[in-house]
Order: sequence, then structure tokens, then C-alpha cells
Amino acid sequence: MRALRALSLANLKSFVRDRAALFWTLAFPIVFVILFGTIFSGSGAQYELGWVDQDGSAASAALRAAFVANAPVELTDGTFEESKARMQKGDVDGILVIPKGLQAVIDAAQGGQHPDPIQVSVVTDPSRSNTALAIQQIATGLVMGANLQLSGAAALLTVAPESLQTGQLNSVSFFVPSILAMALMQLGVFASIPLVQQREKLILKRLNATPLPRWALVGSNVAVRLIIAAVQTALIVGIGITVLGVQIPGNPLLIAAFVLLGALTFTSIGYVIASFARTEEAANGITSVVQFPLMFLSGIFFPIEVLPSWLKTVATFMPLTYLGDALRQTMVGGAPFVPLWVDGAVLGGWLVVTLGVSARFFRWQ
Amino acid sequence: MLGRPAQDAVIAVDDVYKSYGDVKAVDGVSFQVAKGEIFGLLGPNGAGKTTTMEMIEGLHAPDSGELHVLGMDVRHSATAIKNRIGVQLQTAALYPQLTVTELLALFGTFYARRQPVEQLLDDLELGEKRNAQTKNLSGGQRQRLSVALALVNDPEVVFLDEPTTGLDPAARQGLWTVVRRLKDQGRTILMTTHYMEEAEALCDRLAIMDHGKVLDSGTVDELIGRRFHERGVHFGRAGAPEAAKLEALPAVSRVVYEQDEVVLFTSDVPVTIAGLLDLTNRAGTEPANLMIRRASLEDVFLELTGRALRD
Repeated sequence: MRALRALSLANLKSFVRDRAALFWTLAFPIVFVILFGTIFSGSGAQYELGWVDQDGSAASAALRAAFVANAPVELTDGTFEESKARMQKGDVDGILVIPKGLQAVIDAAQGGQHPDPIQVSVVTDPSRSNTALAIQQIATGLVMGANLQLSGAAALLTVAPESLQTGQLNSVSFFVPSILAMALMQLGVFASIPLVQQREKLILKRLNATPLPRWALVGSNVAVRLIIAAVQTALIVGIGITVLGVQIPGNPLLIAAFVLLGALTFTSIGYVIASFARTEEAANGITSVVQFPLMFLSGIFFPIEVLPSWLKTVATFMPLTYLGDALRQTMVGGAPFVPLWVDGAVLGGWLVVTLGVSARFFRWQ
Repeated sequence: MLGRPAQDAVIAVDDVYKSYGDVKAVDGVSFQVAKGEIFGLLGPNGAGKTTTMEMIEGLHAPDSGELHVLGMDVRHSATAIKNRIGVQLQTAALYPQLTVTELLALFGTFYARRQPVEQLLDDLELGEKRNAQTKNLSGGQRQRLSVALALVNDPEVVFLDEPTTGLDPAARQGLWTVVRRLKDQGRTILMTTHYMEEAEALCDRLAIMDHGKVLDSGTVDELIGRRFHERGVHFGRAGAPEAAKLEALPAVSRVVYEQDEVVLFTSDVPVTIAGLLDLTNRAGTEPANLMIRRASLEDVFLELTGRALRD
């Protein structure tokens, strides 16, 4: 146990002191998140909202005019059902519902009474979390303004946020779990490089001449990968939340479980690469050959649906497809490509098979 | 050599074979190393020295044959043996980004028993480099660190594979001192080398290897004495007495003229020298650069293999 800890620490120190490795595993995905996050979120200046006026009064018409005049919104009138259908098609970003009784409350307040406040519902899609957040803020701001105008002080209108999952993730929310999945994939397959280096430099052979058990050697390498995975996850999620305003409403334990499973599966794939690569150059080559199709055919940069059908078939075999899908589902409530248990089963299957292959073919010297 | 290992043999190698494809790397090797001795495997590159040593260390399994270290069978007790031996591999294998003390401390955690890191730094004169990353060490420092790593567990048996290859003469002398100190501490040492003078300077006993076989083994004196009974009396060729007179000197078997020297091969050095001085005195001269040389390991190797060891 002491040896396992010491060896993990040694591997971690080696990793941290290797500036290139540090950059590619930690800084690179962050640059990616920020760069693409900014590109994809830059389009959201104008929001299209469904306007459901259930009051049909002068007061609701005045509120509508105030919204259009004071906020970057474009309103489309309709019933709630019509608006919901539009939102599901992606024609509108959210729905504002003005309930029946608005005029009555305002009249009562102006007559000196103290009526119960009335609720304006703001329906947004949590999977498009930064759009949702913006719409809620805009709606809240305008409703507060209307309150002041109408009554001077008392809150006659409140905002009730509501959710409607449309199944279409917007780019930034889609991106954070996807980049996390990609980073975990790279972390895992790149595990092959230090392994092959250590074999080439005869470090593995030298360790084999000590009583250190092999499980401790493998265990320390995996432990280091998991520690780095945890740091990566914290950084990517942290930047997603603070810089890009993405909300991660999912269950942290479930997310952590898939991060762990993903890191283990791809590290195991890294061991398979190290089993067949004799030199560091070969390991670099194989790693590239493995990671690029994974990166582009697993729904990381664009959804699998846009791929031609034969590539779609390829994508259904890629483990990264399932890790990305699982993380999008668990983190931002993304529409499932397959049910979550299938994601877990496929990743688990890859893990078992690759462990078997590396147990059979991995060479220490 | 055959049969059960002797009671006091720390290392017993009995009829061991190892092939890689068609290449017979080790082709029936047997020898024993007694407690507290420095035993050398001498031979050119590719003779099978390293493969033999690494099989004893438990790094490769032999195709056939018996290997015992400290009375334990290498096949069944590899971990127990590894706890009590120290191994220096031919190519120093180190974590490039770790410092000297970090690496020594790391290896310490692999063993039940260990020497203090400070002691190792002192013994191998690595104190000044304690905080240097191993990638920044010189060849000699790297080699000393590699030996230090082999001593982390205060081992009873130390394996050194070409410990001085690539070192300058001063660094080589320094490592010889270290190896002698290991012997003084009561450790048993098995080392490989392809340097004659290293084998002569350090090893109590030797096995001369070539093409995967042990050609002969014993002390340096035994190895030379078994085939060279004569010594050479060397002196300057300029002004030397004529050949016929030299050939007639007592105990001389033959006279060889080299570039600047005459060599008299004799079975009795004092008698031959007395005769030579008598000749030169009468001529009113004296032999220039008179020197007596016995056959060397080099000559033994030449005799055994038909070629020189120098590579």
C-alpha cells in the first residue's frame, strides 16, 4: 500500500513536471471549452419567445408592448399548446404565459385594495441553460419594472420559472459534457505514452527486479489517471459554470460514476495501445489514429444525427459516443441517444474486453 | 558443478538454457558463487552474460535448468529473492523527472528492509546532486545512482551489469572502490564486464563466456596458470644480443621479435635474466626497459576463442 502511494506520487510528480503533458491534458481542453463556448454562445443576442395571453386585456397588451420595447425579444402570439409546439420545433426559445386575472389585480390595486400577486410563467429549456437563464433574467427585470410603474411599490406580478425539455441541446450546454468526455478519452488513450516510455527506458524492467507487485504498478498508473481526470472534470465543469454560464443540474454522484467509468475504460484502451506499440513513436501514431475518429464520430463536435448513415453505424461502436451521451444526459439533461444503462453497459463492455486484451498482450520489457 | 548446489553457494546456476527464436543466448551454463565473493562474468557483447544474470534475478524464465539464489529456487520464490538482492541493470533505468532523493525514497518503499537515503547519498557521493532531476545527471552520476538504487534494501547479493561501461577512468576507479566496499561489508557480488583489467582488479573468481557458453572459470591465476606456464622477459630491441645467443640462454623456449622489443619466453625467469645480464655485461651494454610479463586474461581469452576480446 505504501509502495502504491509512493509510486502514484512519483508518477504524478513526473506528470506535473512534464510541461508538455500538463498542457495537453489540462490547458488544451480548457482552451477548447472557452473558444468553442464563446463561438456558440455569441449568437444569442435576440431571443424569440412565445407570448401566451390568457387575460386578453388592456393591461396584458401594455405589458406586451413593454417587453418588446425594452428587451431583445421577439414575441410570437399563440395559445400555450401552439407555443409549446413551436418551442419543441426550436422556433422559439421560451414561452411567457400571462394568466387570466391580470387586469382584475391591477384594477383592484389601483382601487386601494391589496390583492394577491399574480404569476407570470416563464417557460424555458434547462438543457439550453444559458439561454434559459438570460430569458428568465429579462422576464424578471421587465416584470419588476412593470410592478413599479403599476403600483409604485407592491409586487403585483411575480415570475414563476418553469421548465420544458425540448430535447434539443443548445451549443454551449451540449459542449461542456462533450468536451469533458473528449478530455477523459484523451487522458485515457494518452496513458499509453508514459507506459511505452517507461518500458523503453527499462523503468518497468527495473521495477520488475524489485519485489513490487504488478498490481501496485498498474494500480498506481490508474490512480494517477483518475486523479488527473478529477482535476480535468473540476476545471472543465468549473469553467463551464463560471465563464459560460452553463448550469449543471444533474446528480453529482451519477456524473462522478460516469466520469470514473469513462476514465477507466479509456485508460484501459491506453493499455491496449501500449500492448501493441513497441516504441514511443508507434504509441504516438496509434494514439492519433485512435483518438481522431473517436473525436469526430462520437457526437462531440456535432450530433451523430448529421452523419451519413454508414458513419452513424461506425459511431454506434465508438465508446466515446456512449460516454458523451451519458455525460450530456446526466449533466445537462440532454436528450438520450440510448438509455443511460445502455451507455453504462457499453462502456463497461469496452472496459472488460480491453482489460482482457491488455492482460494477454501487455509486455513489461 | 553438477548435482545439488553446495551448502554455502549464494548463487547456483545449473545447466541453464535460454533461446530467443533460433538464437541460443544461453547454451548450458553452470557456475556457483560463494558467499562474500566477487564473481565476474567476462566476455564480449552478446556472449550471454546479461541474459544469464537477468535469469538469476528472475527477470526471464530459463527454457531449462536450475537457478538458486540464497538457497531458494528462482522459479518459485522470485519475490522473496527480490527482497534480498539488489539489481543494477546495464542501461540505467530512471524516472527522468524525479530527483535523486525522491527516486531513492521511492525504491525504499518497495522493500521490507531499507538503508537510510542519507547513507546511500554518502556512500555513492551523490550528496551534491540530491535535488537534481535524474535527467540532468552526468553518465558517472547516473551510474552511481543506479548502483545506489541497487543498495536501497541493504541487499545480501548485488548484481552489477557492466557497471563501468561508458565511464572515464577516474569514474571507473571510483566505482571499483564502491564495489570493493560492498565486498568488505560482506555482500556477495555477481558482475558482468568486458574489461579485462576490471575483471583482474575486482573479481575473486571469473567465468569466461562466449556464444552462450562458459568456456572456463576460476581465479585469474588459475585461468592463466592452466594454459600459460611461461612468462615473457621483454627488453629493448636496439643493441640487443644476436638471436642465436638469446635462443641458447637457459630455460628459454622461444624468442619473439616485436616492433621495438625482444620477448624471451621462459619457464624460469631468474635463470634466464641472469644469463641475459651475463651476455650484455660481456658486451659492455645492458638490456633497455627490462620487464617481466606474465600472460594476461587477454591471452587466455585469445587462447580460448581464437580472437581478442577488445571490441
